Amino acid sequence: MSDNLTRVDLKAAKIRREDRVFFGIARTAAMFSLATVLLIFVYLAYRSQNTFRTQGFSFITGSTWDSNVGTYQLAPMLIGSLVIALIALVIAIPSSIAVAYFIEFMAPLRVKKIATTIVDLLAAMPSIIIGLWGMYVFSPAAEGWAKLLNKHLSFIPIFENTTGNFLRSPFIGGWILAIMMIPIITSVSREVMSRVDKELINAATALGANEFATARRVIVPTAKGGILGGILLGLGRGIGETIAILYTLNLIFEINILHPLENKGGAVASLIAARFGEAPDDEISALLAAGVVLFLLTLIVNMIASGIVQRAEKRMAS
Amino acid sequence: MTTYEFQARPDNATPWAVRSFRTTAILAIASIIPALLSYFIGSAFALPGAVTLLVVFLPIQIVAGVFATGITKGAHRIADSVLAIGISFAVFLVAILLGSLLFSVIKNGIGTLTTPFLTQNNVYISSTTSMEYGGAAHAVLGSVLIVGLTTIVTVPLGIAVAVFLTETDSKLTGLVRFITQSMSGLPSIVSGLFVYAAFVLTGIADQAGWLGALALMFLMLPTVSRMAEEVLKLVPGDIRNAALALGAPRRAAFMQVILPAARTGIITATLLGLARVIGETAPLIVTTIPGNETNANLFFGPISTLPTYIYKFVSDISETSQHRAWGAALELLIIVGILFAAARILGKQKVK
Repeated sequence: MSDNLTRVDLKAAKIRREDRVFFGIARTAAMFSLATVLLIFVYLAYRSQNTFRTQGFSFITGSTWDSNVGTYQLAPMLIGSLVIALIALVIAIPSSIAVAYFIEFMAPLRVKKIATTIVDLLAAMPSIIIGLWGMYVFSPAAEGWAKLLNKHLSFIPIFENTTGNFLRSPFIGGWILAIMMIPIITSVSREVMSRVDKELINAATALGANEFATARRVIVPTAKGGILGGILLGLGRGIGETIAILYTLNLIFEINILHPLENKGGAVASLIAARFGEAPDDEISALLAAGVVLFLLTLIVNMIASGIVQRAEKRMAS
Repeated sequence: MTTYEFQARPDNATPWAVRSFRTTAILAIASIIPALLSYFIGSAFALPGAVTLLVVFLPIQIVAGVFATGITKGAHRIADSVLAIGISFAVFLVAILLGSLLFSVIKNGIGTLTTPFLTQNNVYISSTTSMEYGGAAHAVLGSVLIVGLTTIVTVPLGIAVAVFLTETDSKLTGLVRFITQSMSGLPSIVSGLFVYAAFVLTGIADQAGWLGALALMFLMLPTVSRMAEEVLKLVPGDIRNAALALGAPRRAAFMQVILPAARTGIITATLLGLARVIGETAPLIVTTIPGNETNANLFFGPISTLPTYIYKFVSDISETSQHRAWGAALELLIIVGILFAAARILGKQKVK
């Protein structure tokens, strides 16, 4: 990366003493942060290795979690996390892009300003408030939707429900995650759409393209990278969500992929919050191992996201 | 070069923007008929509201929109009307959901925000105690103290890291940037669990406020250092070089020229980071014990914060407990809103 900053050569002989102190502080701070992060990595690896060694590969693939026998297998939670994230994405992606397009291209100026502020504020909404609302206001409503889907569409296998209980299901958990993701994805997408070159849009209009063709052929392809980055940022935040999901989803150690309306779900982060209090030492190790898996998952998602966003920004700048 | 003399635009300068009465009438009919029709169909078959909207109203509205646009603007514009209707519909649904979220917090919380709730703590309060007694003042204090400690440590640290990243030629800049940024993927519960396992379970320290602040620090540091780096980079290189050319030491150039120029940006970044961290619940339920007493000691004893206060009352199904949870949620929302508004107002000010 090239920038026009004149950087100081720390090893140069002619450097004033007060600058030596100044950069000494900066360097200490940087090394302190580096050391702290590495310490966290090392500690997590050290404490969780016991679990990885005793449980082996079945830590990821098995589905028993029992502190009485010392068996800790994460698959239902891991798959549960992915299932609710997938449901959330199915809901959040189209709605976020629609809202971003509406704010940027359809809304009058005053509505645009207010809506932008509200969306940004909602992106900072504490998850405990979403959990509280999700538990007392949203869940009863979504239970009704789930029952309707089940009543009219139960011939499609994914809408089956043999338990008769529609609350605290992956369907509802997915909606809650979607509500957390929508402001994040909308915020990023709107920002990217606002940076689409107006000349391109005017050129498309001048060539006789209608708004639909302009959106489909000009705006979305140009903003695609940024939108994808926003989606992954939202996903990264959603995977690590703990409290709101703890309130709205049943954590059951039974793999459930195909029946999102049944009250059997899982989420790694919420499992940690639910179990840490009464966990014996080997279970703490297992929870830390679960944390490591979760961390790796969000790390990969975030890295892909920031890579995509950077590339998109570079392309739009040129 | 030719110079143009600009005149006021004649009324007919944009003929495509003029809407005839016929067009207006057809568009009005095309919006009223679907609404009425789906209302009657919905009530005739006693369909639930959501079903009526999705299965009856949306298709009728699309068909009506297609016809109306086809008549008034020509076949070329039909796709536009479908796009507009689809997007408006999606926006409407999202607005209802997010509006319900904001509205519920305000509606359920506003009645709770009485003087006792704002000024008292939770000592001797059970789930049956009337709302005239007890409050969340101790939780507000705890939140302010814990988040304050986090900020006092994190912001200077983040700025110092940013100085290292922007002003030195160290070979480690890439590594430091990469590693600190990778922390942004640390799920908040894992941050809390790390502190819990490393300090509490090993017996080094008991659960206390400063451990909560430590767990929050890990979450705030990547954001602050990245934002500080970006803000410092925005300061024009010429100002910096001018200060150095005048013979100023690097420290003086930074403290007296660069930092003041970047001040609003850094304050905005801090406020946004604060708004995010103050609502974090997961690390605090692991690292602190929510107490009932007012506790201003970050290093000893149970300490309550707004998120853990809500957490404590949510699972209790008694009516007053729920009122308390909603009240604290509204307080938290107001604090986040104030931080957010302050960041907005500051962010709009131009650097002088």
